[in-house]
Amino acid sequence: MKGLLLKDFYMMKKYCKSYLFMLVIFTVVSFFASDNLLFVFYPCLLCGMIPVNLLAYDEHSRFTVYSGTLPYTKAQVVSGKYIVCILVQCAVLFVTATAQGIKMAVNGSFRAQDFFVILIIGFCFSSLVAPISLPFMFKFGTEKGRMVYFFMIGVVAASVYGLSTFLNVEQIDMGTGLAGALPILLCVLCAAIYALSWYLSIVFYRKREV
Amino acid sequence: MNALEIKDLRKSFKGFTLDGVSFCLPQGCIMGLVGENGAGKSTTIKLILDILHKDGGSVKILGKDNGEDIRLTKEDVGVVMDEVGLPTCLTAKQVGKIMASTFKNWDSAEYSRLITKLSLPENKEFKDFSRGMKMKLGIAIAMSHGAKLLILDEPTSGLDPVVRDEVVEMFYDFTRDETHSILISSHIVSDLEKLCDYIAFLHKGKLLLCEEKDELLARYAMVHCTAEELARLAPAAVKYKKENAYGTEAVVLRESVPDGMKISPISIEELFVFTVKGEGK
Repeated sequence: MKGLLLKDFYMMKKYCKSYLFMLVIFTVVSFFASDNLLFVFYPCLLCGMIPVNLLAYDEHSRFTVYSGTLPYTKAQVVSGKYIVCILVQCAVLFVTATAQGIKMAVNGSFRAQDFFVILIIGFCFSSLVAPISLPFMFKFGTEKGRMVYFFMIGVVAASVYGLSTFLNVEQIDMGTGLAGALPILLCVLCAAIYALSWYLSIVFYRKREV
Repeated sequence: MNALEIKDLRKSFKGFTLDGVSFCLPQGCIMGLVGENGAGKSTTIKLILDILHKDGGSVKILGKDNGEDIRLTKEDVGVVMDEVGLPTCLTAKQVGKIMASTFKNWDSAEYSRLITKLSLPENKEFKDFSRGMKMKLGIAIAMSHGAKLLILDEPTSGLDPVVRDEVVEMFYDFTRDETHSILISSHIVSDLEKLCDYIAFLHKGKLLLCEEKDELLARYAMVHCTAEELARLAPAAVKYKKENAYGTEAVVLRESVPDGMKISPISIEELFVFTVKGEGK
């Protein structure tokens, strides 16, 4: 398993420099220019594409076949991509959250509860794209599966944009009432979708003949 | 113990059926799998490794069924596929590190030795390798983790004759340890003839023959004669024949040829071509 993660790390180092660039750009833009949540969470959304792209590279180089000659189970091959996905999303979340926190502090609008609520909602939305798309990719291959991915990006981007148009990042109060429970519900839902997606990907990939 | 035991292995795709293939590879031996394109060699190898799911039959690798924790079994199996599927951005050095985290018995010193022996650059990206270099890297990986069985799908294709000879010599050295075995498929039958103890012919998904190489070469011979001369032989003595305007060539059973009739030794390549063409008739 460690070998698979190391391989993906080398591939990310080679192919994913542009994502780092995008992360910096969007973080800077969200810091200086806009209160719209889309700018804050778009890097998270975009970085969900990393495991999807790594899978596409694996298919292209026929590593999907070669990995069958190595002492890995198909479940481990699938899990490798999910672990990469979680690690990347956490790293991006850390960067965007830090930037957003600093911004709120500088503006004098930092309230810890609001900050975490917004963070959780945005993260849940943006991190769901990859787990919703990955089972399709493991079942049908990345060519067909990628269409689902782009569709999901559209749906989530539109949702985040729509929500953030109504909710101002710095004036929102979601710490009470039904709204207060939303982050917890979203977290549970997000974890459930992740777990189901992981499980389905393993089932689909075991059945798939590469 | 047999390194490989395959019984009634079956798999159907659209337009192709692997039809009840059975053979055994004894430990310490090399078996050559010969067949034309699309004969089922790669399919057989993928089924052995459980990369493809079999429709029927059984596969035992080093005494263990390939359905039961094949991950552990693969620690003892070195594989070179017809296309070495490594990510194109990796260098041989990075591949070494990945494999060190993949195989329990990875031998970094042996890997470095093979990389040097096969004149592979350590820091060049895989995408810039020639086909021959890719194959050599695949071979270096397969031989650096203490495998007891090598499964090689067209490992010498793309290699120049000098390197091919070197690689064949490496395979030969590998089986000096009597617990080591090799299953190798190749179009280059001359390599197999040099290397193998057993030969298996696959044609259109069927196993036509699987026997000891020396036994085959001792049993069969070639005759070049006229059609009339060939007709004097008992029909059972003539396995396959080819007639043209210049005479007749035939594969015959040595023991059935009368004294005085001129015969010549047969090569595995000739035997394969005649066997396949004979099947087609």
